[in-house]
Amino acid sequence: MKQPSIKKNVRRTVRAYLVSAPSFALIALIVVFPILYTGYISLTNMNTYHWFNFDFIGLKNYERALLVFDSGFLSALLMTVLWTFVNMVLQLMIAFLIANLLNVRHLPLRNVYKTILMFPWAMPGYVSILLWKTGMFNSEFGLLTQWMKDLSGVTVRWLQNDVSAFICCTVVNLWLALPFMIMIMDGGLKSIDRSYYESATLDGAGPVRQAVSITLPCLKPIIGPSVMITLFTTFKQFDVIYLMTQQVGSQTGAHIHTIITYAYENAFITNNYGYSSAISIMIFILLIVFAQLSNRHSKEANA
Amino acid sequence: MKRKTIKRIASGTVINLFFVVCCFLALLPILYALSVSLDAKGSLLSSNFSFIPKELTFTHYVRVFTDEPVLLWLKNTLLLTVATVVLAMATAVPAAYVFSRKRFAGRRLVLRILLLLYSFPSILSMFAIYKLMSTLSLVNTHIGLIVIYAGTMSVFALLNMKGYFDAIPVEIEEAGRIDGCNDLAIVTKIVLPLARPTLIVTGVMIVNFVWNEYIFSINFLTGSDRMTLASGLYSLQATETSGSWPVFAAASLVVSFPVLIIFFLSQKNMVSGLTSGGVKG
Amino acid sequence: MRKILCLLLACMLVLLSGCAANNSDETQSKKTGAVTITIWHDKEDSVIAVLEEAVKALEPDIHVVFEKKTGMTESLKLVGNDVNAAPDMYLFAHDKIGVYAEMGILTPITELLGNDALSGYVPLTVEGATYKGQIYQVPLYFETLLFMYNRKYMADEDAPATTEELYQYMQRKTKYGHYGFVEQHSTPYYAAGWIHGFGGSLITADGVPCLDSNEVKAALAYHKKFVEYMPGETEYATVNTLFTEGMAHATIAGPWFVPTVRAAGIDVGIAPMPVVDETGLSLAPYSGIQGLHVLKAHVAEKKDAIVKVLGVLMQPEVSVKLAKVSGCAPALESCYTMEEVTSDSLIMAMKQTAETAIPMPNIPEMDVMWTVTGNLLTNVNMSGQDIDTACADAQKKALELIEAMK
Repeated sequence: MKQPSIKKNVRRTVRAYLVSAPSFALIALIVVFPILYTGYISLTNMNTYHWFNFDFIGLKNYERALLVFDSGFLSALLMTVLWTFVNMVLQLMIAFLIANLLNVRHLPLRNVYKTILMFPWAMPGYVSILLWKTGMFNSEFGLLTQWMKDLSGVTVRWLQNDVSAFICCTVVNLWLALPFMIMIMDGGLKSIDRSYYESATLDGAGPVRQAVSITLPCLKPIIGPSVMITLFTTFKQFDVIYLMTQQVGSQTGAHIHTIITYAYENAFITNNYGYSSAISIMIFILLIVFAQLSNRHSKEANA
Repeated sequence: MKRKTIKRIASGTVINLFFVVCCFLALLPILYALSVSLDAKGSLLSSNFSFIPKELTFTHYVRVFTDEPVLLWLKNTLLLTVATVVLAMATAVPAAYVFSRKRFAGRRLVLRILLLLYSFPSILSMFAIYKLMSTLSLVNTHIGLIVIYAGTMSVFALLNMKGYFDAIPVEIEEAGRIDGCNDLAIVTKIVLPLARPTLIVTGVMIVNFVWNEYIFSINFLTGSDRMTLASGLYSLQATETSGSWPVFAAASLVVSFPVLIIFFLSQKNMVSGLTSGGVKG
Repeated sequence: MRKILCLLLACMLVLLSGCAANNSDETQSKKTGAVTITIWHDKEDSVIAVLEEAVKALEPDIHVVFEKKTGMTESLKLVGNDVNAAPDMYLFAHDKIGVYAEMGILTPITELLGNDALSGYVPLTVEGATYKGQIYQVPLYFETLLFMYNRKYMADEDAPATTEELYQYMQRKTKYGHYGFVEQHSTPYYAAGWIHGFGGSLITADGVPCLDSNEVKAALAYHKKFVEYMPGETEYATVNTLFTEGMAHATIAGPWFVPTVRAAGIDVGIAPMPVVDETGLSLAPYSGIQGLHVLKAHVAEKKDAIVKVLGVLMQPEVSVKLAKVSGCAPALESCYTMEEVTSDSLIMAMKQTAETAIPMPNIPEMDVMWTVTGNLLTNVNMSGQDIDTACADAQKKALELIEAMK
């Protein structure tokens, strides 16, 4: 009895991998191989002075890279966690609110609202960021600055100190990311069976109670994958923070660094590819550690 | 009864008001760009800005089309977009289906690795990608970029569609199997029609990505006759010695316009899609 | 509704791409049968128009294509040696020569044009073109920052001769949204003028950073009191717009800014750089020497064509025309005997600043210094950090990064 089932298992596995082979080939070529190659470069001294005749130098780059992993790196790491956390929480809450309101009955303009709320998503990201930076936050001409001036007579330098720059970056990131999240939530809400609510209403449960005990649990598995994807997108967000506060030639005085912008500033301006590759690989290792931790955490939560 | 009506009208007004504010916020920078691009006195940074330009002009839009080979860029972008979507979807759909439906050795591990790969910013390995493309002599070709884009988005497409397939009840397929369909027939005749929304959503996400991507296209394409809209737009961006903000604003709206229409057209599918909503339908 | 929209979109796209296809066909057919020389650049259209006009003489044997490239310096690092993607030459400032020469992607121009190729050039430009004893650039023109003022507010005789005069002017006039003087105060390229005015520098000729020197500290401390009277942004868009909108009375900017200013209807005056009272030195900005660099990738197969193109572009007439449209100063010494040049006050002002201006360092170490100095300036001017600590930190960081380069 056992023999055929194993054989069947093997056959099934082989078939599954065969079917997904084209996709994996692409991923291996464009995603996996470059990471491995980066790993290889990180073991060489490839830089401006040894561009073509680089040699294998072992772990020397890593030794040096650990210098970058100093106190500045640790605070950047904390900032990354804070950034990801704040953004995800706000994003989920606001999107949940808006998606729910979009689904109230008797909202004739529903589709108009929905369409308009999608607009930020279609704009190229860096264009939006630059528009926000110069159009809204610029301390001389920005719309927000002018409005503040009219209201209170004070000129605010939005991006100059860390706290307000962090808030501004969060606002921009929310503006960029909310449309996707709203759409996901909206789709999720639509898929929940109406009859649950009807029977809950019969049982006398109020709207809050319904949201907590019906909507949230039903939504969780549906939006889960998208939330995971957004989580990583937020985590690796580079454009918003870099273009808003650190672009060369238009720094604003704020020092919010995530590990990516920190690595960029410390490794990628030196033209030392060996060294910057070592930093990339170390970030990758950090990601693996995080993935392991979060995985264990979710397993415990499930059990 | 009457009190209830009043309450309903009141709450309806509040909700509508809320959405009007939201929509205004969503459109704020876009309106700003619009008014800058239409303003004859044209200065993005004018100290007495108003949303309604005092003098209307379309010269900035005309300049977008006459000064730059925008139409050529559009052609390139269209080519890249279509090819990337086809390549990425053709490879990711079977993989997503298998990972959703079949149970086999290494499945969970591979899924976890995929998520991990998604979390790694591709910018960090750009140099390696360049070396790879250079070895394959695909630098400065559209094919090279298509492969890069498709590979980058493959991970997303696979994970996203797998999530949707998970939500399609297996019973539907079993019914098909009883009717004597084989695997291929089940996928093409039953699963894919049901999965239409996620196919559309994933496709639109890929379109959006390719349409707006500029870092790879700037670095990997060198001739201006191969440029895409996004990289062309990026190079229009005011540098200190040249460039014009109003033209840039006009160009960014022109570039975003087709994507907006695609979004608008696929909106219904996006909303019903993404989740199991479409399945019940 | 939806279907109509769909159809419309499809029609539009087909139509548009149809047009595009036609366009590209035309350009393609033009090139057949000739050696094509590709030159990357990031310059204004007017400058390129002059160059294109000049190389027309070489048609049909040699066809020269000028390609405007964004992020050119980064692209060159990637594709500089790739025969499929690299251009034949690039037109850019001299400050990347060190990096590319060390990478081994540049050909010394003396190999093409002989050892005394640059004998008739302004010494400043030859200095900029030379790295480790080799000449890597054919200079076309050079630019330095200029002190500009709006004649509506500041009469010619009121233009400040010293920095203290400038400071007093700023104190008097910076109010009601007007600024007495604005500049990109936290951008190294601009702030370097102040540091040089105190006799300091960012980096020595052999690549040792000197951000914690007393001169730099003194310059930063002194400069800071000017920054207090300037806007809270350091990027060019804000600074330049303030000036073109008539909200700033004076500024320091490059010659490329003059056409924009004139187009905005501002009567602009140019004055010599103010002298720092304390040291008696005038503010000495960096100078950029714009010129052609030849890449190694194609030099073997296209040597003759490249030499011919360079020969055409090195003619004095081209330099004069370039000077006219760009407002920059010709690199050829012989141009300064021509009436057209000597009568142009802008060019002569630039030639005059060239006496004191310092060419941007072209050593690879400088690559790192831009970022580090930029951060130092932001820290001091905008985040209000203590100058001594900020300088010490920046020096340490610069040393670390330079170490990391090697």
